[in-house]
Amino acid sequence: MTIPEPEHHDGTSDATPGGYDHNRRPGELGFAFFMLVASLGLLWNAYGISGFEALSSPGAIPMATTLVMSVSALIVVARTARQPLVAGETIAKDILPVVVIIFVCFLLAYAFLLKPLGFLPTSALFLIVAIKMLSKRSWSFTLTVALGSLLVIWLIFRIVFTVLMPAGIVPEAEFIQFFRNMFNGGN
Amino acid sequence: METLLAFLTVFSHPQLLLLVGLGTFAGVYVGAIPGLSVTMAVSILISFTFSWDVYPAISLMIGIYMGGVYGGSRTAILLNIPGAPSAIATAMDGYPMAKRGEAGTAIGVTTVMSFIGGFIGIGVLALAAPFVSDFALKFQPRDYMLLAVLGILLVGSLSTGSLVKGIFAGALGIAIGAVGRDALTFTERFTFDLQIMEGGISFIAVMIGMFGVSEALMQLHHVDKTAVRQKISRIIPSMSTVRKHLPLSMQTSTIGVIIGALPGTGGDIAALMAYDHAKRVTKNPDRPFGEGAMEGLVAPETANNSAVGGAFIPMMTLGIPGDAVTAIMIGALFIHGLNPGPMLMVDNPDMFWFIVGALVTANCFMLFFGLTGIKLFTKIVEMPRSVLIPMIMLLSIVGAYAVNNSISDVYWMLGFGVFGYFMRHYGYPLGPVILGVILSRLLDDNWRRAIISEREDMGRFFEGLFSSPLSTVLLIAVVLIFVSQTPLWTRAKSILLRRSPR
Repeated sequence: MTIPEPEHHDGTSDATPGGYDHNRRPGELGFAFFMLVASLGLLWNAYGISGFEALSSPGAIPMATTLVMSVSALIVVARTARQPLVAGETIAKDILPVVVIIFVCFLLAYAFLLKPLGFLPTSALFLIVAIKMLSKRSWSFTLTVALGSLLVIWLIFRIVFTVLMPAGIVPEAEFIQFFRNMFNGGN
Repeated sequence: METLLAFLTVFSHPQLLLLVGLGTFAGVYVGAIPGLSVTMAVSILISFTFSWDVYPAISLMIGIYMGGVYGGSRTAILLNIPGAPSAIATAMDGYPMAKRGEAGTAIGVTTVMSFIGGFIGIGVLALAAPFVSDFALKFQPRDYMLLAVLGILLVGSLSTGSLVKGIFAGALGIAIGAVGRDALTFTERFTFDLQIMEGGISFIAVMIGMFGVSEALMQLHHVDKTAVRQKISRIIPSMSTVRKHLPLSMQTSTIGVIIGALPGTGGDIAALMAYDHAKRVTKNPDRPFGEGAMEGLVAPETANNSAVGGAFIPMMTLGIPGDAVTAIMIGALFIHGLNPGPMLMVDNPDMFWFIVGALVTANCFMLFFGLTGIKLFTKIVEMPRSVLIPMIMLLSIVGAYAVNNSISDVYWMLGFGVFGYFMRHYGYPLGPVILGVILSRLLDDNWRRAIISEREDMGRFFEGLFSSPLSTVLLIAVVLIFVSQTPLWTRAKSILLRRSPR
C-alpha cells in the first residue's frame, strides 16, 4: 500500500499509525515493557476471578484476553528491543515536551476545580491561561477569544444540549430563569 | 409503503432535516479543520445528545459523519494538511493541483466524486442490509464471537502498522470492557476491590480520552505550524471531467463499500487502498501520480464516502461496527435503548430506513455545502491551533462529565487521553481499543452461550464449528490474518511490494 510519510510519526489515524517501521523511538521500549508488566498483572488478576473453574466462567474471557495481551506485549518488547534507536529524537523534544506535561497538569487542575468552583469560572480560567500560553498574543486578544468562545459553548450546552454542569459559585440557574422569564413574557 | 414512509421521515420532519443539514455543515468544517476529527466530534456529541430522542441525535451524528469524511479533503487540497485521516491520500495529488492554480477544479471534483461515492455506499447499504440481516438471523453465537475477533484483527492487518500492536490494542479494549461486575453472575472483574470500579469504565470516557484529549495533546506539537494557502478558481467541474472518471469512481467506490463493510476498517484505510488501486489501473494519467493526477483525487474521495454507507451494514445487521464512528453510534443506540443487531431490522425496520434516508439527505447537503461557501470556509479553517486545542480539551472534559455527572469519568477520560497519546507515538492503533470495548460484552456473552450449548466441551465446540460453513470460513479468515504475520508471509509480501511501481 502507498504509505504517506506521516507528519512527525505520531499517528494521525489507524491507517497510518505513529512510530517507525525499523527503528524505535525514545521511550518506546520502556512503554512496551510497562505494557508487558501491566498485562501480566492483569492476567494474574483475571486468574483470580474464577481460576480454571469452567470454560463458561466469568473469568474465562478476561483470562484469554489478558493472555493475548501478555503474549503480544512480549512480542512487541522483543521486537522493539532489537530495533536501533531512531536518530535525532529525544523524549523531551519529540515525545513528551514540557508543554504537553503542563497541559496535562492544567487538565487535572480543571477536573479538580470543576466541582468546587463551578463550570464557568474554571473554564474561563482554563481557556484564558491556555490560549495566552499557546498563542503568546496580547491580553485583549486572549480575553476576547477565551470569554467569547466560552459564552458560545455555554449557550450551546445549556440551551441546545441541556447539559447540566456544576454551577459552583455562579448562580447559573437564576440567570437562565431570568432570561426565560424575559423571553416568555413571565409565563 | 411503511418502508417509504420511514425512509422519508427526515423529509417530513423539518426539525430532523434541519439537524441533518446542520450536522453536515458542521461536519464539513470539523473534517476540514486539522486537529478536529469526525470520531472525536461524534464521541463528544454522544454525551451531549443522550438526553435527546434517538431520531434527532442520530440525524445530527449522521450529518457530521458524512460531512466530516468529505471535509478533510479541502484542507488536504488547499493547505496540504489532511483535515481528517480519511483525506491523507487526497493530499498526495490534491495539493500539487492547487499549487498549479487548479484548487477550484480539485475541490469541485472531490465534492462531486464524494457525492457519487456516498450514494453508491448508501445504495449498497439499502440493498444489501436486509439480506445480510436475514442471513444474520441464522448466525450462531460462535459466529458473532468470531466476527468480533475478526473485526478487531482487521484494523491491525489492513493498516500499515504492526498487527501485533493491533492485537494488543484490541485485547486491551476487551479487557477494559470487562471491568466491573459481570452481568450474568455478578462476579467482580478487574475491580481491584475498589467500589468505584464496580460499575465498570464508561466507554464514553474511554472514547473521548482516546480520540479527543490524546489528539489535542498531540496537536500541541504543531502549534506554531502555519500553512500556505492557495487561490481558488472555478469550482463546479465540467460534465466531461465527471464522465471521464466515472468508470474509475465505480471501481473505487466498490473498494470503499467493501472496506467500510468489513468490521472495524473505515474510510481512512479504504482511501489509501483505493489510491493504490487507481495507480495500478490508470495506464496513462494526464499527469503522473503525486504531481496532481485527477485520478489520485477521484479514487480516495469516492472510496472514503462510499465506506460510510458500507460501515453501516455490519452495524445495523450484526451489531458489529464497521469503523470507529459506527462503533460510537452503536454506543449511542444502546444509550437510547436500542440494540443494534439482526433483531433491530426485524423489530424496528423503521430505524434502519430512517438512517438510510438521513444518509441520503446528508449526502445531498454535502454536495450543496461542498460547492458553496468557499470564502467562509477559508476563514474558519485558519482558526489558530492555539485557540482550537484548549477548546477541544474543554469540550472533552464537559463531554465526559455530562454523561453521568461524575468527576471520576473525567479522571478516567484524562487517564485514557494520556495513555492514548503514548499509544499514538509508539504506533499502537486506537481503533481496535474502541472496538474491543464496544464488542467486549458481545464477545463474552456469545462465547459463554456457545460453550454452554456445547456442554463445556471444546471437542464438541469445534465439531459444531466445522460442521457450519460460515463458522469455518470465519475461523479460516481469523487464522489467515494470524498467518499473515509469520516471517514467511512477510517475505512474500516484501517481494511483491518491491515489484509494484512506486
